[in-house]
Amino acid sequence: MICVGSGGVGKTTTSAVIGLQAALAGMRVLVLTIDPARRLANSLGIDAIGSELQQIPLELFQEVGLEPEGEMWAMMLDMKESFDRIVERDAPDEETQQEILENRFYHYFSTSLAGTQEYAASERLYDLHEEDQFDLIVLDTPPTTHALDFLEAPKRLADAVSSRALQWLYKPGILSGTPGRGILSVGTSYVTRTLSKFTGGELIDELRVFLRTFSTLFDGFEERARSVQKLLCSDETGFVVVTAPDTLTVEEALYFYDQLDSDALNVDAFVVNRVHPKWVDEAAMERAEYTLAGELESLQSRVDAEFVDANELAEGLLENALQFQLRATQDAGSIEKMGDELPSSMPIACVPYFNQDIHSLSGLDTARQELFS
Amino acid sequence: MTFPDLYNRRFVLFSGKGGVGKTTLAASFALSCARRGERTLLMELDAKDKSSTLFGATTVDSEIREIDDNLFAVDVTPKEAMKEYALMILKIKLIYRAVFENRIVSSFLRVVPGLNELVMLGKAYYHATETDDDGNQVWDKVVVDAPATGHGIFFLKIPMVITNLISTGLMFDEARRILDLLRDPERTAVALVTLAEDMPINETIMLSKTLREEMELPVALVIANAIYRPLFDDQQVRWIEEARTEVDDDSDLTGFLEAARFRNDRVTMQQNYLKTLRDKGDWPILEIPYYFFDRMSFAIIDEVAKDLDEHLTD
Repeated sequence: MICVGSGGVGKTTTSAVIGLQAALAGMRVLVLTIDPARRLANSLGIDAIGSELQQIPLELFQEVGLEPEGEMWAMMLDMKESFDRIVERDAPDEETQQEILENRFYHYFSTSLAGTQEYAASERLYDLHEEDQFDLIVLDTPPTTHALDFLEAPKRLADAVSSRALQWLYKPGILSGTPGRGILSVGTSYVTRTLSKFTGGELIDELRVFLRTFSTLFDGFEERARSVQKLLCSDETGFVVVTAPDTLTVEEALYFYDQLDSDALNVDAFVVNRVHPKWVDEAAMERAEYTLAGELESLQSRVDAEFVDANELAEGLLENALQFQLRATQDAGSIEKMGDELPSSMPIACVPYFNQDIHSLSGLDTARQELFS
Repeated sequence: MTFPDLYNRRFVLFSGKGGVGKTTLAASFALSCARRGERTLLMELDAKDKSSTLFGATTVDSEIREIDDNLFAVDVTPKEAMKEYALMILKIKLIYRAVFENRIVSSFLRVVPGLNELVMLGKAYYHATETDDDGNQVWDKVVVDAPATGHGIFFLKIPMVITNLISTGLMFDEARRILDLLRDPERTAVALVTLAEDMPINETIMLSKTLREEMELPVALVIANAIYRPLFDDQQVRWIEEARTEVDDDSDLTGFLEAARFRNDRVTMQQNYLKTLRDKGDWPILEIPYYFFDRMSFAIIDEVAKDLDEHLTD
C-alpha cells in the first residue's frame, strides 16, 4: 500500500496509522518511511527508525491497552545505502565496483540524479516484497509534485541510461541512424560539440568517463525497473492519496488521482487529515450570542478556578468559535467538492485536526479510530 | 526585533518545505513591493499554475504577464527555460531543434543532475540583472518562489555543486555568475518560510545552517507562518480547562469550550516551537498570523502583504 500526497499533509502518520490497523487485525505489517521521521519513531515508542528492519515491541502496545494479533515492523529507506547496495550487487567485478563508489560523480549522481532516490526506494520495496516476509507493506513516499515521480522513476532512469539514450556519449557513432526530430540531419559529433558548448566540454568528458563505468549496471537497471513497474501496477498494490482539506492541497490531491487513474493504478482511498471539527453549529452560535455570558456566569460557582469576567470571556469564546466555524465550513466544502469529482465508490476518510501533534502510540491509536470509524 | 530591509534587495528568494505557505508569502511579498511602486516580477518555478488561484482569473504561465499594478508574474518550466537558454547561446532555432529536440538528447538532458534547476535559476538571474537599452534595470524586484521538492535545498545548492564539479565552460560560467549574485547580501536575500510545527521547524534550522555555513548565502530571516493569535489570557485558559469538566457533552457550551481548548493547546505548542527556533539560531523571526480563511485567495495575499509591509519597514 503506497501513501502519496503533497508535503505536510501527514503522510507519514497516516502510513503508521494504516500499519497499526493492519497489525491489530492480525497482519504482519511493515511501515516503510523515507524521511528520517523522528516523530514517527517517537509515536511508535522507539528511539529511532533505522535502515534495518525493526519490530515494535509488543509491550509498547500493551502499555496503552492495545493487543495486536499481528506484528508491526518499521524501517527507514536510506537512499544512499540502497543505491550502494545496487552497485555492490550489479557491478561485474570488485574493481568496477570500487571505481563507481569512488567516482566523484557517483556521490552526486546517487543522491541527486533525477529519479535515483525513487529508483533505489522502489528497488528496495521490490526486494522486501519478493522476500515475502510481510502480509502488508505500507510505504510512505517522499513529497513530490507529481504523484507518479516515484512510480515512473525506475522506468525513466532505465530509459535515460538505457543502451541507446546515453551510449552516444561514450560510444560515438551510435546517434547515426537515429531519426531525430530536427529538420537538419546532424551527426553525433555535431550534437556532442553543440552540447559541449552548452555544458562545457569538461562536464561532458567527466560524464563520459563516469557513464562508461556506470553503464555496466545498466542491464540490471532495465530488468529491475520492469519488474518494479509490474509490481506497482499489479492488483497487489494499492494507493492511498493523503491530503489536507484546504483548496490548494485538495486540488493537488485530485491531480494526483487523475495521474494514477489514467495509468490504471488502483487508488483504494482518500485520507483527509487535519479537518477542523465543527465544534459549534449555526443554531447554537445564534442562541449563544445572547445567552453565553449568562451561562458562563452561572457556571462560575462550580468551576474550580479564579473568577473571570463572564462578558469578556463570552466575547472571546464567540470570536474563537466563529473563526473555527469558518474553517470547518470551508473544510467541509472542499471535501464535498473533492467527493463530487471522485467516483462515488471512492472511500474518503476524514481525520480531525487534533489539539496536539501525534507523538505517542495512544495518539496514533486515536487517529486510527477516527480513520477507520 | 528589527528585520533586515528586504525591500532594499533586488533579488528575494522564498524557500522552505512544501505546505508551509511559501507560495502565499512570495506572492504577498511581491504584491507589497508592487504597491510601493516597484516594478516587480514574481517568478514561480515549475508551479503548475499555482499562483493563478491567488490572483483570480489571471493565468500565470511561461509568458510574463501583468497581474496587478506593477506586479508581473511568470511560471518558469525547466523545458521553456532550457529552450530560452539554449537559444540564447545557439542563436539559431533550427540548430536548437536538431540538437535539443533529438529524442535521445532530450531524454539525456532530463536526467542530467541539476540542469533543470540551473536553467531555471539562470532565468531568474537573467531577470534580476536585466537592463534595457539605456542600461537601466528592467525590474526593481525579482521575487522567486523556490520549488519545494523532495530534494529540498538541492535547488539553491546547484550552482555551488556545479562550480565544485567543473571549472570551465558555459555552464560553469553561468553557475559562477548565479552563485555570485546569490551570495551578495547587497542584492540578494533568502527568506525561509516555516510553520511552528515539529518537522518544519527542525528542517528550517537545518536548512538555514546549510545555506549560511556551507553555501554562504544571505539568509535574511525566517518567516513563521500561520501563528495563532492568543485570544485568552492565562487565567481564562485555566478557567476554560476547569469549566470543560463541569459541562455535559451535549451542552451548547461544550463546543465553545472545546474550540477554545483547541486554540489554547495550539498556541502553547506553537510558542514552544518558536522558542526552539529562537534558541537554535540568531536569525530574525517574523511571525505571520493565522488567517481563518482558505489560504488561496487574493484577500489573504492582500492581508499578508500589509503584514509584511508593516513589519519589514519599521
